[in-house]
Amino acid sequence: MKLKLLIMVLIAFAIFTVALFIGPRVINPFSINEIEKEILISIRLPRIIVSVLMGMALGASGAVLQGILRNPLADPYILGISSGAALTAVVGIISGLAFWGTFTIPVLAFIGALITGVFVGAMGWKRGGFWPERLLLAGVGLGFLFSAVLMLIMSISSDQGLRRAILWIFGDLSLADWSVIPYGFVFITAGFVISLSRANALNALILGDELTHSLGFSPRKERFILFVSVGLMTAASVSLGGMIGFIGLLIPHIGRFIIGPDSKILIPVSALGGGILLCIADLIGKSLLSPMELPAGIITAIIGAPYFLYLLRRKDVLRI
Amino acid sequence: MFSGYKNTILEFERVGFSYNRDKPFIKDMSFSLGNGEFVGLLGANGSGKSTILKLASGILKTSDGNINIWGKHIQSYKNKDRAKLLSYLPQILDMQIPFTVKELVSMGMYPYDILPKLTVDEAIEMVGLTDNAESLITNLSAGERRRVYIAMTMVQGAGLVLLDEPLANLDIKYQIELLRLLKKLKEKRDIAVVMALHDINIALQFEKIMLIKEGEILCFGNPETVLTKDLLKKAFDVDVEIIRPSKSRNVGERQDYGEVYIKY
Repeated sequence: MKLKLLIMVLIAFAIFTVALFIGPRVINPFSINEIEKEILISIRLPRIIVSVLMGMALGASGAVLQGILRNPLADPYILGISSGAALTAVVGIISGLAFWGTFTIPVLAFIGALITGVFVGAMGWKRGGFWPERLLLAGVGLGFLFSAVLMLIMSISSDQGLRRAILWIFGDLSLADWSVIPYGFVFITAGFVISLSRANALNALILGDELTHSLGFSPRKERFILFVSVGLMTAASVSLGGMIGFIGLLIPHIGRFIIGPDSKILIPVSALGGGILLCIADLIGKSLLSPMELPAGIITAIIGAPYFLYLLRRKDVLRI
Repeated sequence: MFSGYKNTILEFERVGFSYNRDKPFIKDMSFSLGNGEFVGLLGANGSGKSTILKLASGILKTSDGNINIWGKHIQSYKNKDRAKLLSYLPQILDMQIPFTVKELVSMGMYPYDILPKLTVDEAIEMVGLTDNAESLITNLSAGERRRVYIAMTMVQGAGLVLLDEPLANLDIKYQIELLRLLKKLKEKRDIAVVMALHDINIALQFEKIMLIKEGEILCFGNPETVLTKDLLKKAFDVDVEIIRPSKSRNVGERQDYGEVYIKY
């Protein structure tokens, strides 16, 4: 187990380092000129940090959500949080809002995500607790509604801003800069620490509410705390760089395949795996058809879907 | 190690409960249990066996009356403190999650900040699964999986174990194995076991039987008192024939099976 974790951490560092020096322009780490230094510090490093933060948030959120909803198909976007974020962000992009400079779109996305999270939570709340099925259905229903409104807005808007909006929806990391990182870092770290501190309760929730109670936890309270942690991580992730599909669904399953379902290890491993996958996807996306960039969300789906289908054929893998 | 003296560890005081307001489901129920007792809850489907266990575990809250464990109102305990005293295993357990035996049994440690009295390895040994400690529970037989959950409750250190139909859907071999295991654990660790049952013949293995009908106790006592033709007719609405052993043998000395049985 420890060896597997060590190997994963080493792979992660190797990939982050490679992503720093390889891209549309390959930089030799042993002879860096001023321009290259500027590229590394102002463009590549913040972009890698954003992709790692987003990937970590999505991977960890997926592991938590699949547990609290007891559903192997759950991912952070199934709760409609991303659709809410996309709606407010795209409204901001298309209408050219810039009241807070570069912060405008992330802030709008974050607000949209949080409002949606609270709304889904309220819909899923009954008799003093969250009901997994209600949460799931409320999220799916609201997600459809927001997607429809989003499509409506995009179909009646002019071309200006439309491409930007589409890129954002599929996950656009090209605008990553240092200014948003501290905020993303704070919310994602907070969500991650909260969820990791409740890992035992999450393991118990996987066994069912009655056993959770028997093992000394309140299922309602624990589900609420974990939902809040997922809400924070997902909202922060979407506001950093748009919607990146598949990580939240795929990575926890790969994690279980490698290290088993124990949440104490699965949450950090899913975070690490999410960071690795998004970093690789972004590296491919910006290098493959350079100077044109492909949204990272498309690459994660293209890499992830075949592997997911391969896992489907493995016994006992696609379970919480 | 333990004296024969029984402390009251579970007490129902005029307990009432209803799932919907108009119709009481458990009615004015009172009884008490001491440590080390081995009690079977017997009754027809829908008679209230599972509800009694859920009330006793604190999952459901009473509409009327009080439930005390170890002399204190059950809802006054913090979740973790209650979990050190009693554990509850529902009838339907998820057996498909790929936890290993050791991982699942370790969850019994969750209520503790320091290591509990019984280690995970000891508990696994007690239920006879040492060789399978690293196996996934999905690879075990139905009886072995139940034993894994029993080991978890042993690590939890609870003095009162509430089991909802743990023998349901098990072959007779596994039923016997599990009953023997629970009796052994009861003797070794002086735990009280309360188990919901549906099989009248299995009920003969218990020291005490509580016969339930429509949320009320029809009779609570030793098997000879409870398992009578009239009471079983009342509880299940069927006629049965009770085959008793020869008069010279004491029911209390009975070992496992075959000496008293009920013919349908």
